Amino acid sequence: MIEVANQWIYLSIKNLVEFFLLLIQGFLSIFIRPFRLKEIAKQFHFVANESAPIVFICVSFSAGVVIVEATFHMKLVIQNSSMVPGFAAMLILRELAAVVCCLLLGSRVGAGWAAEIGSMKVTEQIDALKMLGIEPVKYLLSPRLIAASFGAMFLVALSGILCILVAMYVSTLKLGFTMGSFFSAMRSFVSMQDLYFSMIKGFCFGAVIPVVSCFYGFRCKAGAEGVGRATTNSVVVISILIIMLDFLLSWIFSNFY
Amino acid sequence: MKVLTNTLAEIGGLSVFVQEMFSVAYRKGIKQRDVLEQVWKVFIQSFPTTAMAGFFVGGILTLQFTLQVKTFGALGFLGGLATSSTVREVGPLLIAFMLSGKIGAFTSAELGTMRVTEQIDAIRCLGADPLQEIILPRFLGIIFASFFLLVGGLFMSIFGGMLMGVLFSGINPEEYIRHIPTLVSKVSLINSVFKCFVFAFVLAAICTYKGYTASGGSKGVGIAVVSTSVQTMICLVFMDWFTSVISDAFFTVVGS
Repeated sequence: MIEVANQWIYLSIKNLVEFFLLLIQGFLSIFIRPFRLKEIAKQFHFVANESAPIVFICVSFSAGVVIVEATFHMKLVIQNSSMVPGFAAMLILRELAAVVCCLLLGSRVGAGWAAEIGSMKVTEQIDALKMLGIEPVKYLLSPRLIAASFGAMFLVALSGILCILVAMYVSTLKLGFTMGSFFSAMRSFVSMQDLYFSMIKGFCFGAVIPVVSCFYGFRCKAGAEGVGRATTNSVVVISILIIMLDFLLSWIFSNFY
Repeated sequence: MKVLTNTLAEIGGLSVFVQEMFSVAYRKGIKQRDVLEQVWKVFIQSFPTTAMAGFFVGGILTLQFTLQVKTFGALGFLGGLATSSTVREVGPLLIAFMLSGKIGAFTSAELGTMRVTEQIDAIRCLGADPLQEIILPRFLGIIFASFFLLVGGLFMSIFGGMLMGVLFSGINPEEYIRHIPTLVSKVSLINSVFKCFVFAFVLAAICTYKGYTASGGSKGVGIAVVSTSVQTMICLVFMDWFTSVISDAFFTVVGS
């Protein structure tokens, strides 16, 4: 029993150290020539442009939900709906825009990359890269790191703004606000700072995605089952890491409000 | 236009699949032993991750509400407000997002591999119905297991919120718990359980459907897995909005 526990602790510490080494190596090799701008642009297109429709649809529905729920809570506690815009905008900008957007990106982009890199590993393309004298971390991880973190940042900013617009539309229909009164009720609760903070959150969540999917892709076992396992594991780990990181970042940002 | 027709085709295929599953269950009966086995397997496999996710979601919501409630000087209401909004909306959504990666991807990969390696056709050749033998136990098992997982995750979120309230906003646990019953009413609990059930149904239906209809070698399995998690998430967000609106309308008509 103790041996099993020891083995488990040893393995988890080893994996953690390897994960952070991969992150540091990927980050540092961004600054080494060649920069491969074309590859970065291609990955950026995959992350930002192709995910944009799905992300925007999901995020605007969740904005509608937030308005309905906020109205319910406000009726429960203070019996009128004058604070609904501020409350909803706060929940949207501080939490939901960043988390929902990046969880979606994590399952779409992360699964795609893990499957791609895993099948490269299985068909020995990564060993071929090493033989040609190309460092696979530099070749595969660094462009994806830049593309994912900036792509997620822009997507989060856009989806925050879109969320606010949808919330405004729903509350003009359902609660009888006008656009002006919605904004003035909103501005007493949130400011531009909240949008900047959610963009920082998006940047950090985006950086998690390629590192995890490369981590599982590089150690993918042979065969179709190995690739499937790498994909599933990376989606799960990305989701957990995003939720945990969100907790940490919320704690850090709460000192600045 | 092509996107629209594809979406409609997917929705139609899914509805026919679910209808067929129900008719098989009605005509040929359910194998209870297999269903229980699946419930147990899925539950054990994903309980640790779900519990962890629930714990952190509760913590995050408490953290955000602390800042807000402090400005009004009403820290006593913190527990009630944070728990109410976690249980009613944010908790089920985020935990179900987690589960779509864990259960959904796993099941569709498993069924897709069976489909691609022609094991499902082999079962049909032996004279048994693959829908009854393989798909139906998984479908029902995932519904029950993920319903229990979602509810368990919500309980963990109360503990996470309480811990965060003690550590971060400095109120004692009794004070945190005291206002939970005043703000979390019967209506909220019914709403939350309804939402958990709908989410569990969506999770189970999409992953079994995508796994069962996978085609085209190991690449097809990969496509099935990715599209499972993406489509599940879209459906979850849509159903979240839908259930909120429906239960809102229902309780305004009926009255609480």
